[in-house]
Amino acid sequence: MLQLENITFTVPASDSGTQPPSGQTIINDVSFAFEPGGFYAITGPNGSGKTTIAKLIMGINELTSGNIMFNGTDITSLPINERSNAGIVYGFQHPARFKGTTFRDLLSISLGSDDEDKLVNIISRVGVCSMDFLDKPVDSKLSGGEIKKIELATVIARNPKVAIYDEPDTGIDLWTIGPMVDLLKREQKENNTTTIVVSHNKAFLEAADTLLLIKKGKIAYTGDLAGAMPMLEDLSVCTFDELCQGDNDAQCYR
Amino acid sequence: MLNAIDKKVLKEVADLEGIPKGAYNIRKNGKLEGREVSANINIETNEKGDGIVIDIKPGTKDESVHIPVILSKAGLHDVVYNTFIIGEGSDVTIVAGCGIHCGSDASEGHSGIHEFHIKAGAKVTYVEKHIALGDGSGKRILNPTTKVFMEENAQAQMELTQLGGVDEAKRFNEAHIGAGSVLLITERVMTEKEQSAESKNEITLDGEDSKTNIVSRSVIKGSSSQDFYVNLTAKTRCYGHIECDAIIMDNGINQTIPALRALHPDAELTHEASIGKIANDQLMKLMSLGLDYDQAVNRIIQGFLR
Repeated sequence: MLQLENITFTVPASDSGTQPPSGQTIINDVSFAFEPGGFYAITGPNGSGKTTIAKLIMGINELTSGNIMFNGTDITSLPINERSNAGIVYGFQHPARFKGTTFRDLLSISLGSDDEDKLVNIISRVGVCSMDFLDKPVDSKLSGGEIKKIELATVIARNPKVAIYDEPDTGIDLWTIGPMVDLLKREQKENNTTTIVVSHNKAFLEAADTLLLIKKGKIAYTGDLAGAMPMLEDLSVCTFDELCQGDNDAQCYR
Repeated sequence: MLNAIDKKVLKEVADLEGIPKGAYNIRKNGKLEGREVSANINIETNEKGDGIVIDIKPGTKDESVHIPVILSKAGLHDVVYNTFIIGEGSDVTIVAGCGIHCGSDASEGHSGIHEFHIKAGAKVTYVEKHIALGDGSGKRILNPTTKVFMEENAQAQMELTQLGGVDEAKRFNEAHIGAGSVLLITERVMTEKEQSAESKNEITLDGEDSKTNIVSRSVIKGSSSQDFYVNLTAKTRCYGHIECDAIIMDNGINQTIPALRALHPDAELTHEASIGKIANDQLMKLMSLGLDYDQAVNRIIQGFLR
């Protein structure tokens, strides 16, 4: 359904001054096929390339090489909006903050309608957003949690075939994470949405049918959470393996 | 009689489909076109005959006054002095604005000098929209001046808008804010082509616990330029904030110069200013919702100037 074929992303030279530096390969020859209606979690250490994979699928970053196929069509050269219109939608880790643009505006764009009943319907369907968010400007006055809930609603309102959520729990209070996982599962089941969540949060990793563990720009593991646990536990202890001198002369507190 | 062009201008500047309800004064090409007063709102020509005095009785509630100006005569540069007296404890909306329709190569201009005396406890919303239409190549010039004198515990909300078509604009706003009074100014200006707009603001917080918030939103397209100056002076314990944001597109240029002057130790003054292109993350977000680049730009600008 959604296939990554030998995708590679190297930071282009034009992005000088960026982090990471230009010339660095972030995603290195990754191939994977996402099945329709599956729930996938992409996890891995900081800087491993999780978000970059998600952005490459959405077209926010351009591939250096490789192809992305969606329902049999090569979408590698399609711009973001055409991928969105084809059914792929992305929830940003750090959603944009506007001046003057309200939640109602974003939701109307997403739904393709400003019909009040439809807007109210989508808010009830998402559940985590309060109705009085509707006329709030999506600006710097919103809390981190509020803006993430709005982001989630704008993704769901598009009824995507593939929904990508980049760290949807950032800034979300602990007691909203459970309902958020339930919501994504419900959307997956009821609408057969292929759901891809980039996360470190165990709640999302447990919810996923398949987990992709990314390490140094490659897929280090695909499978269920139980199978990934030994590697995740290892990663949770130490991410300095490049510097590691082994068990005998560790010079660390491991 | 209002012709089709006049009606179009009225619709743009005052959201009017025809003659407004309630008190109004319509000025066309330097002359009185129509006037209506109400039981609580009196409008009369001033002594010099170069403007009007709008007198709102104390305690007047939920009434509005429309005072649009239409300019469609080539070569005319109209200057008008209007005085508003907003009576104690009243709550009114004033809709002003000037629409120029330029059909020739001769320039046309309007300088409206508006003076507000806002009495104690009064609340006024002032909406002023400037537009210029027509196919003529003559310059369209609008130089508005607004002077506001607020007594104690009054509230004024001023929305000053100029969205395109005006070749040259020089605005001057001056305000003196009395004790416990609140002045909110929102200025929205869009320029394009070779247009230029300048806004100078001299705002003084005179009375204890007075407050002001000055918001400027500028969109600078084409090769146009905008300059925005504010001098915010605090003479006592008070609070003031300036927020100026400019979005530059194409080859536009902008200067934004907010100045804060605290002449009292308990004054609290802040400002934030930003100039730049449309933020990439905003474009990405709207494109990820299916809009193409141009649609995304338009939606962002629409929201910004709202």
